[in-house]
Amino acid sequence: MKISYNWLKDFVDIDIPANDLAAKLSVSGFEVEEVIYQNEHLHDVFVGKITKIEKHPEADKLQICQVDVGDKKVQIITSATNVFEGAVVPVSLDGADLVNGVKIKPTNFRGVRSEGMFCSGEEIGIDENYIEGGGVNGILILPNDMKIGAKIEDALMLNDVVFDVSVTPNRPDCNSVIGIAREVCAIYNKPFKDVDYDFKTIGGDVKNYINVEVKTDRCPRYMAAYVEDLKLTRSPLWMRARLNAVGIKPINTIVDITNYVLIEQGQPMHAFDYDNLEGKKIVVRQAKKGEEIAVLNGNTYKLDENDMVIADSVKPVVIAGVIGGTNSCVQKETKRTVFECAVFDLKSIRLTSRKIGVMTDSSLRYSKGVYLPTPVNAIKRALNLVTKLNCGKIVSGIIDTCKVKDVKERIIHASMSKIDKILGVVIDRERVLQILNSLGVKSTLSGDNLTCVLPLYREDLECENDLAEELIRIYGYDVYNNVDGVAFENSSVTVGAYEPRLVLENNLKSQLVENGFYETLNYSLYSASACEKLLIDDERKNVIRIANPISEELSTVRTVMAHALMLDIKFNLSVGNKDLRFFESGRVYLPKELPLKELPVENNRLSVAVCEDGYDFFQLKNLLENLLLTTSVEYSLVRSTEPYLHSGVSADIITKDGKKIGYFGKIHKKVLKNYDISHDVYYAELDTDYLASLPEKKFAVKEISKFPAVERDIAVVVDESVTNGDLTHAIKSACGKVFESVELFDVYRSAQLGENKKSLAYKIRLMSEDKTLTTEEINAVINKILKSLEFRYHAKLRV
Amino acid sequence: MKEKLDLILKNGLEQIEKCVDLKALDDVRVRFLGKQGELTAILRNMKEIPAEERKNVGMLANVVREKLEKALSDKLAALEERQLEIEMEKEKVDITMPGVGVKKGALHPLTKFNNKFMDICVAMGFTVIQGPEIDTDYYNFEALNVPKNHPARDMQDSLYITDNIVLRTQTSNMQVHAMEKMKPPFKIVCPGRVYRNDDDSSHSPIFNQFEALVVDENIGLKDLMKMIDVILKKLFGEDVKMRVRPSYFPFTEPSIEIDATCQMCGGKGCSLCKGSGFSEVFGAGVVNPKVLEMSGIDSKKYSGFAFGPGIDRSVMVTNKIPNIKYLYRNDLRFLKQMR
Repeated sequence: MKISYNWLKDFVDIDIPANDLAAKLSVSGFEVEEVIYQNEHLHDVFVGKITKIEKHPEADKLQICQVDVGDKKVQIITSATNVFEGAVVPVSLDGADLVNGVKIKPTNFRGVRSEGMFCSGEEIGIDENYIEGGGVNGILILPNDMKIGAKIEDALMLNDVVFDVSVTPNRPDCNSVIGIAREVCAIYNKPFKDVDYDFKTIGGDVKNYINVEVKTDRCPRYMAAYVEDLKLTRSPLWMRARLNAVGIKPINTIVDITNYVLIEQGQPMHAFDYDNLEGKKIVVRQAKKGEEIAVLNGNTYKLDENDMVIADSVKPVVIAGVIGGTNSCVQKETKRTVFECAVFDLKSIRLTSRKIGVMTDSSLRYSKGVYLPTPVNAIKRALNLVTKLNCGKIVSGIIDTCKVKDVKERIIHASMSKIDKILGVVIDRERVLQILNSLGVKSTLSGDNLTCVLPLYREDLECENDLAEELIRIYGYDVYNNVDGVAFENSSVTVGAYEPRLVLENNLKSQLVENGFYETLNYSLYSASACEKLLIDDERKNVIRIANPISEELSTVRTVMAHALMLDIKFNLSVGNKDLRFFESGRVYLPKELPLKELPVENNRLSVAVCEDGYDFFQLKNLLENLLLTTSVEYSLVRSTEPYLHSGVSADIITKDGKKIGYFGKIHKKVLKNYDISHDVYYAELDTDYLASLPEKKFAVKEISKFPAVERDIAVVVDESVTNGDLTHAIKSACGKVFESVELFDVYRSAQLGENKKSLAYKIRLMSEDKTLTTEEINAVINKILKSLEFRYHAKLRV
Repeated sequence: MKEKLDLILKNGLEQIEKCVDLKALDDVRVRFLGKQGELTAILRNMKEIPAEERKNVGMLANVVREKLEKALSDKLAALEERQLEIEMEKEKVDITMPGVGVKKGALHPLTKFNNKFMDICVAMGFTVIQGPEIDTDYYNFEALNVPKNHPARDMQDSLYITDNIVLRTQTSNMQVHAMEKMKPPFKIVCPGRVYRNDDDSSHSPIFNQFEALVVDENIGLKDLMKMIDVILKKLFGEDVKMRVRPSYFPFTEPSIEIDATCQMCGGKGCSLCKGSGFSEVFGAGVVNPKVLEMSGIDSKKYSGFAFGPGIDRSVMVTNKIPNIKYLYRNDLRFLKQMR
């Protein structure tokens, strides 16, 4: 919100540099985002009077002007055609740096010296709304009565400093000049001086002119006043200057007054053309379904029962609190007006404003909250300004529908020691009372009892915490730099810990990093087409859709991790990156039913993706086996059913009780095509929630045998369909108690072995715990193995 | 006889000295001490020496043998050492050749930062917990003192799934989960993803926060300020400066925002910190007693504080990442720089 420094000065005697004030406001809870100096580009521009004009001897289009700029006379060459002898104009002289980037230096125009330049309205940053002639395509001709030689910023009241203040939602009272002024008073411990609210009436009774009826419970207060014999001229320069400074376009006296009150008091107002109010009546009611109204932004909106309108006896004339209708607004011809000054339910205004997408100064204030008492002063201020501007005749009486005539001030009974505890520092009691009182909170302290009578506009204050904040923000947070002590010195000792899954994940991640993997992070939202690309046709297809997505690309919540990693690989290949080893830990979100009635299951996953020349299934398998060794999981591998993995080169990881806790393998060729990736990709995924739920891995070390192990190598020829797993399992069971280990060390295929045959060579280690095995015993075991292999798998010993 | 032995000793020592390899040395050994060796011959013929001389000659011959053996073994050691040197010289490598084996990868900078943050907090007695990213309106808003249509909802544009289910806009939902599940005293931190309906050059719809909550007796603003001081120093270094601005969050009162020395420019002022030398790192405050009560904690007995920094920006500035979009682009050329 923009706040004018000059305007603030109406309410508080202050004259400190604007930047200092901005810094103070920021550390007191009102962050000043920008300090705008209106005169930044107005130095070296003065009010001058053209005393004489002659034609340039060498150029038809140029005129030589003698100009009186107060303490000196200058000569200026101009090509402007709207200047004349006696004209009062803005004159920019040596050193001026205009808002459009023009820098002024004396120059010669065909041998004739020019000391500067006359300015247009645009060149000094104003337009026709601000001053007559401000918008013409030529030189701004100023009123004759301006003081010659004055600085233009003073003459045109462009000497303000504007603060762009960010007001937090708990302080709607500060969306106004008086609100910020009260804060400035508290910060600098200065008295708040209010403006004048008196006005003159011509007698009569407002009730004879207008009748207000509130037919909704969403309008707790509606105040109205009646003014006739309007003079709809430009408002005076000081008023235009104020409005212009805060970015509001001056229009005419009555409209400017409503805006002035809005900015100053934080109270939105509206002015009706009385002669367009049918039935001399104002009705505050809910709109009828389908009711339409054309409003001041040029649009027409269709309303329903949830929207509130101000209507006359026939038609809606305002979308309440949001925007006025064209059918009843104040126009040039308007002779008589009714001022509206109301309080509406903030939720109602919010919803309507959002629904129709119209945000106005009025709707913004209403949706943050306007207090019940605010209109009382506001409407008086508006009438006061009518009197001041002499722009209308006020009929006696102000209509007020408020049922609560006397809004009671609230009182907080607080404990001072509790406030001390919240702050952790003790603020001197005198200072406590002084700060609170300067904020308008009338406070007394008796023992530990702090009694605070709250001003009506401080609805946000309720308990000790709120008072503590008021104290410390004015007292200053710097105090903590100077107090000794450490955190938690008066509270319990607690023992820190990590969630088990994080411990596991970090462990797995470190292993992956050691193995050359890079961690990626992807959005957990993706396009609805992800499952299709991955050929997924199971329950994971049931993705949760976002009701108000940012884009189609981010419209659903992911149920699979692989999509994003595939896109990462594609992207990296496209920019020429090679040897990609990625992993990501993240969540998939699995709905129990759609549409969502209860929260989905959020399952944590660790995914791995590799795209690297020479990488193969068995390297990936080894990686996964090593990762799983970190946990106590017992598992077996079966051929994978994952649709996006190559069915012959992939495995599912299955626990003893049949739960699938992960899978790994080569990406399906069709999927590669869908992603337009021309390299093989290997992918793996683990359910880290499951793995973290397992008991910690326990070790029970067996005694190391005193007797030596013996090694025997055998090679057998089997059909291709026989797996290594089949054979090693058979070898192990044939060995019985003397089994130590078996390891495949060679696979061999040749024409000699025959088609569909392979030779597998194993290193078998045998060992007994209670003796050294004899050659006979060893041979017996080997024979048993060979027989078993032959019997089960028709394996032949290869010689 | 003595002269003969002296001569053997002299010749022997000379020849040993001259040897340049193991073969030559062995030849010398055989020549003097071998079965047919010169000294062996004398020892073997001792019985032919008159009895009265035999004792002296024997002693003398043994001395010669010992001296020769000592010389031989010294020479042997020297030659062997020389031999090793030669072998090692042959094995010399070009140490500028690349190392062989799998090259280490790297964690994402966000994970690194989170880990550092968690370590600091765990050491201070905090428990790390995580919870739902898709949550009900109650946990994300209502229980944090943000009822429907509250103006504070304007501060965050939410992504909704249904009227009542939302992608959490803040990790503060974990405050409520923690307060419902845990009994005071407790200290928790929860790193996690949050979602907003916001996607432009300076905002990403998904980003990371780090929520911390303490509930205990006697907890106040001073504990918060002192803890944040420690955290900032550990995260950004001892020289970091801190700036406090009062702020507003519905679930804390008093509420503050903490700025720290901009890590991008070191406080000199840059485009990121808009020349101020500071950048915002935490929103924080004393837990609003209403929030405690809503989650069933006696606010007369207990108080608390909470803080929740956004992580992404800190990750960016501490690693001097030029563009926030790098964080989710997963470009190997970026990730490799994090090794």
